[in-house]
Amino acid sequence: MKKSFLHILLLSGLLAFSFGAQAKLFNGDEFVLDNGLRVIVLPNHKAPIVKHMVWYKSGGADELSGKGGSAHLLEHLMFRGTDNVSGEEFNRLTEENGMDGNAFTGQDMTAYHQSLDVTRLELAMFLEADRMQHLQISDKDFALERDIVFQERKQRVDNNPVAYFGEVLRRSLWQEHPYARPVTGMPEEIMSLTRDDVIDFYNKHYTPNNAILVLSGDIDVSTARDLAQKYYGGLKKHPQLNKKDFPELENPSRFRVDMSRPQINAYRVTRVFAAPSVNFMAEDIYALSVLSAYLGEGETSRFYKKLVVDDKVAVGVSTSYDFASRSYGTFNISAVPQQGVSPEELLKRLDDEWENSVNALNKAKLEKVKNKMLSGMVYLRDNPNEAANIVGALAVAGMSLADIEAQEDKIRAVTVEQVRSAARRLKEKSSQIEGILRPERQEVL
Amino acid sequence: MMSHRPLYMKSRYRYLKWFLWLVFVIGVVICGSYGFSWRRTPQDLVTHSILKDKTFEAKVQEIVSPQLKIKAYLIEDKTNPIISVSFLFKNAGYATDNEGEQGIANLVASLLTEGTAELTAQQLKEELESRAIAVSFAADRDDFSGSLLTTRDNMFKAFALLRDMLGHPRFETDDIMRAKAVLTEAIRRQNEHPQNRLSLRMNEVLFAGHPYGRNPLGKTKDINRISETQLRQFVADNLNRQNLIVGIAGDINKNEAERMLDNVFADITSSGRINFVRTPEIKFDGRKVLMSEPTGQNISLKAVAGVGRNDADFYPLFIANQILGGSGLTSRLSQEIREKRGLTYGVYSYLDLSDKAPLLMAGFATTAENYAEAEKLFAKEWNAFSKNGVSAEELAKAKNYLIASYNLRFSSISGIADILAAMQKYNLGADFLKKRNEYVKEVTLEQVNNVAKKYFDVNRLVSVSIGRFNEETRE
Repeated sequence: MKKSFLHILLLSGLLAFSFGAQAKLFNGDEFVLDNGLRVIVLPNHKAPIVKHMVWYKSGGADELSGKGGSAHLLEHLMFRGTDNVSGEEFNRLTEENGMDGNAFTGQDMTAYHQSLDVTRLELAMFLEADRMQHLQISDKDFALERDIVFQERKQRVDNNPVAYFGEVLRRSLWQEHPYARPVTGMPEEIMSLTRDDVIDFYNKHYTPNNAILVLSGDIDVSTARDLAQKYYGGLKKHPQLNKKDFPELENPSRFRVDMSRPQINAYRVTRVFAAPSVNFMAEDIYALSVLSAYLGEGETSRFYKKLVVDDKVAVGVSTSYDFASRSYGTFNISAVPQQGVSPEELLKRLDDEWENSVNALNKAKLEKVKNKMLSGMVYLRDNPNEAANIVGALAVAGMSLADIEAQEDKIRAVTVEQVRSAARRLKEKSSQIEGILRPERQEVL
Repeated sequence: MMSHRPLYMKSRYRYLKWFLWLVFVIGVVICGSYGFSWRRTPQDLVTHSILKDKTFEAKVQEIVSPQLKIKAYLIEDKTNPIISVSFLFKNAGYATDNEGEQGIANLVASLLTEGTAELTAQQLKEELESRAIAVSFAADRDDFSGSLLTTRDNMFKAFALLRDMLGHPRFETDDIMRAKAVLTEAIRRQNEHPQNRLSLRMNEVLFAGHPYGRNPLGKTKDINRISETQLRQFVADNLNRQNLIVGIAGDINKNEAERMLDNVFADITSSGRINFVRTPEIKFDGRKVLMSEPTGQNISLKAVAGVGRNDADFYPLFIANQILGGSGLTSRLSQEIREKRGLTYGVYSYLDLSDKAPLLMAGFATTAENYAEAEKLFAKEWNAFSKNGVSAEELAKAKNYLIASYNLRFSSISGIADILAAMQKYNLGADFLKKRNEYVKEVTLEQVNNVAKKYFDVNRLVSVSIGRFNEETRE
């Protein structure tokens, strides 16, 4: 059966911009093992299933320059076997035990995860702990997996003009900052990676004191504590873990990317800001979360009402704000112009409506937005897989579970003036990129 | 040499053997609390796990509403104060759209949340958002579906709003125009990705002249001409109690759920007028269609006849598919084309359970220079599967996966409600969740090998590919 679009939209909207709720949203717990491994437990007893995730606080941004794609290639090679369990054995064990497992690599992190019946959890923990420190990479496996990630890059980016556009936008926004580089690596970079590049990344970053274990599902805190100690407690911590220093974006840049591609049939416009995050001007993050919800999240938002419903200059418009990052966050506006409206015109209208909306914000409007953000928080407790994803993503960016759990208060505390000044700072002081994606065959507008 | 270090590590095994007793004694002392035992294989971790006895039984109740006698399945779950209702109107999907109205099911699906007789679109959305009530509708090939997610606190309001959305849609001119613009924009964008162009073409190739061959989103020309009267007629004809199926899950008891049915579905018609879709005549003749385009990667899609959910061959075919190209990297196709040769990021097969034309589908993507080799390997594996069947070991492995992963589907309340609706659509019975693992276990090697022979005929496989082709691959 089809998952309803709106349903997903609403839920993902909730997930994207607001994470807290009642004092203890997840009723979780967290503790740290002697070797530095941070463990977060999120009990959910609906069914005897659990999500087991290990998040490393390292990703594409930690690669050496010219070695783009090494974090991601390593992620693939983590399925090719260790000193103790061969790759085939690993895949056979996870599949025979019904685990839906996978991994993903981002700019700031790399995560490995399995959804599984809780009766199989000990096996999953053994396998995950084992590959944290005993990975084996043969030349043959290295060459094969490099070919596979090359194909993955082709499939995800080179066959998808919209993804390609996103990559160009990021490069222009972030310039010399490591976020400019695509996590997949460029095709020629991927093919020039060596086994040593990947082993180097593994040795530097895959260690319990650079990782977070998340257990979400049918497990209580004390059992989780025993099992975490049993399987992960014996791993050695890295004696010298270097914390990466991210460069600051100097002289806020304002660029426009105007791109046309032969495959593209419809116009799109976007504006992306290098924004505050939990690690950069963190005092603005809740105000900006509220701003994003107010401006462009959902079909009662200001942008939607004005630009789509009333003035009919856009077919769709949305904003999103992501503050879960180790360096800057991103604030994003995207819109699709109505037939006959030029992309330049729509960008102008978005700017105007930003100003009008920020000026029109008052206490009553603010309360309504907060209510919209917070009323559905109880849903976040429903699916243990989603809970693990949300909490893990925030924790790996540096938030404590207590902060993650108690955000309702922070959102409730946001004032009109805070939203206005955060909006002003974002608009006037931050680096930003404006993007237009258009068909190669230009229609008469 | 501590208990937290796995004892079966090959490199340490011979040293550990010397200290077996010592380790055992230390182990008992340190790990006594979780029932330590000597383990030789990782699988033993499962057999001896302290969590091994966790079981689960999803109790399905068959309920009937007191007044309108609407039947439904319910799973009560009180772990979280939320409720999900998943419903579908059978045979009201886009394949039943009238000629000249292609896209109307989709249009209605997006317009039902755009206001009721009493509330404008914005008022309705404010009501929904402020109470975190999520309602949505969708039209797939066969059915028109809807779902509701609400907190228990807001359930009565949620039911009242859903009743009005279904029974008294607003269909205001401005909202209709907006929904049309969104849908036609989606059609315009549909062609931007080669994967979409390929899927659309496969529909045309397989189902030429049959409603299954249509663009799932509709036709721009038709959509722009659809009137309010036609929309109302669609609702009257298609959304009625005779073709209604409902699944309910969450924090709601039998009594409340039964009254909810009488309430929510009170204002739709008791019966309608459905366009029944005939069974298509498909030629599975092994033809190959190439769409030459300068894409970054070639993509190939294959199809051959499959079986419906109630066919005697369903479970054997379900397992056969798991072995050949199902989820995971150990499937035969993944092993040969991805894992051993690095030719693709993904190769897969799956069962398409469309009511009128169940299919067995497969596909992969690879760069043009690998394409010929990938095609050859694909054909070789497909052929070998049909000719030689599977081993007892492969069968056991696939069954283990399907059984051990079964509980994963109960992760969300809306997912559970969807399962309950699907069980009724396919007449699986209220005891299906109890029996399903038995159905999987009962499948024999002979049955799987019979379906392998019967369905996986490489000479019947219809193939459509997009990308760059050379002399060799054109043949």
